[in-house]
Amino acid sequence: MSSESIKLPTHCAQWGWDDHQYFGHSVFGDLAGHESMIGMSALSVLGRRLSKECCDVLDDIVCTSTLADPRIWPLKISRLVAAYGSTMPAVAAGLLIQEGARIGPWIAAGAAATLTELHNAINGQERNSIVVRNVVEGYLARHRIIAGFGTPYRDYDERIIAFRKCMLNRRRNELPYWRTMEAVINAVRDLRQIAPNIGLGMASSMLDMGITPAEVGPLATVLVQHMFVANAVESVKQSPALLRELPESHVTYIGVPTRTSQRAIGSVSFLHTRQSRNGKMASGQ
Amino acid sequence: MTESNASGHPSSGPLESGNFPDKLLARVVTPGRQPRLHGYDVEADLAQHYSPSEVAYLAITGELPEPDAAAALDAALVFASPVSVACAPTHAAVLSQLCGANSGATLGVAAIALAEQAKSLLYEHEELLTWLNAPAAPFPSQFQSMKTEDRDAVERLVSALRPSRLVVPTLSHEPAPDAAVIAVLHACGLRSSRQIEALLVWTRLPVVLAEAFAETEANFKNYPINLPHYEYQEAAL
Repeated sequence: MSSESIKLPTHCAQWGWDDHQYFGHSVFGDLAGHESMIGMSALSVLGRRLSKECCDVLDDIVCTSTLADPRIWPLKISRLVAAYGSTMPAVAAGLLIQEGARIGPWIAAGAAATLTELHNAINGQERNSIVVRNVVEGYLARHRIIAGFGTPYRDYDERIIAFRKCMLNRRRNELPYWRTMEAVINAVRDLRQIAPNIGLGMASSMLDMGITPAEVGPLATVLVQHMFVANAVESVKQSPALLRELPESHVTYIGVPTRTSQRAIGSVSFLHTRQSRNGKMASGQ
Repeated sequence: MTESNASGHPSSGPLESGNFPDKLLARVVTPGRQPRLHGYDVEADLAQHYSPSEVAYLAITGELPEPDAAAALDAALVFASPVSVACAPTHAAVLSQLCGANSGATLGVAAIALAEQAKSLLYEHEELLTWLNAPAAPFPSQFQSMKTEDRDAVERLVSALRPSRLVVPTLSHEPAPDAAVIAVLHACGLRSSRQIEALLVWTRLPVVLAEAFAETEANFKNYPINLPHYEYQEAAL
């Protein structure tokens, strides 16, 4: 391969002398003093800036999705890794599992894909409950589960209730994907008796910003990373021996019962044979 | 709805009101002193009679390999172990060392990148694995060696396997080197993608770390920062 071909394009960034470029913007001229942290996060995932109004919605997502109890499975990964005293490996470990996981922010990506499909099928008739019900019924017949619904250990997700209030206050509840979402929620409740989760709210609000389903997963994960940081930082401070190794009494072994390898059996019988032979020789037999 | 106590702090939530197990389940290793791995005493049995690769095979599959499979496993794992600095996992680990990361972080970077490399390899060979599990149809042609040097490499693998006496019929189809390694591991008894991924990462990790730890911290002036060169474009890619 020639040196000419050792080249890749980037739209992301360039290191300049007195200023730097970031997705087509001058870092010091366009971004510094003008863009918020959430705006920078959106720019990093989307490659384009979002309006202040959209960034405010992302802030609402950050706040209403904050459920950082250290007992929650992905967050506990960060807790466990941090028990050895380093923060960033713990944050990285918690975030590492997110892509495609069945729990966590990436569920918003699946919800966005589902909602897009349903939105296209409903085709603007979200106020017609029969049309919506038929579309949702058809979807449920083809899919065992519907992304964006169901919440562990409770009948409803308190986070989407809080987020809905935010969207109402911001008058974003009349936007196309949000209306579709509300119609689908009603149909799924009738057909399956399950409630939506925050992933669905994240998905519909992001789709209404023009964010694609493929962009939803990474952006949703960026918006929840503070919870991994919080758990990692506290666990590093504690560095608890309890997390490094739980007491033996709190573990039950259910694997294969005790057994001996063929080589160990052979070795024992060989040893036994040799000892017997030596014994016989010593006694002159 | 959340209940609050007198101080205004939530007093309970779903995890306080549920009925949950109070013990972790161990399915492979018994906790505590004198551990057993899939039932075998690690210290008094496995450590005295089995090699690390045989114990890795046991850990991954739940059973110790047959002697022929164990020898073939060793050959295939050694064959698959080198990952040069030209490859992303080693390059990334070298960069970690260059940046002055601690050894745990560099090991983590190497492990993540190797896991991604192995996952990608097995994804590319998904059809091969399907064929290996039910080899009724003709050998999929996309997994055959296209170059003489690849055929030569597979010949060397065949030579390395000879002492094991393990029969790997797939090798007669002139597979490419990666396909040949996967076929041998499959013949040894590794049937699923994740079993093969795990052992590929296991055999490659020390090699990647050796290259990384050979680098000097903060040796930035000797690192080819423009390899590859990134050409900044303001327009969408």
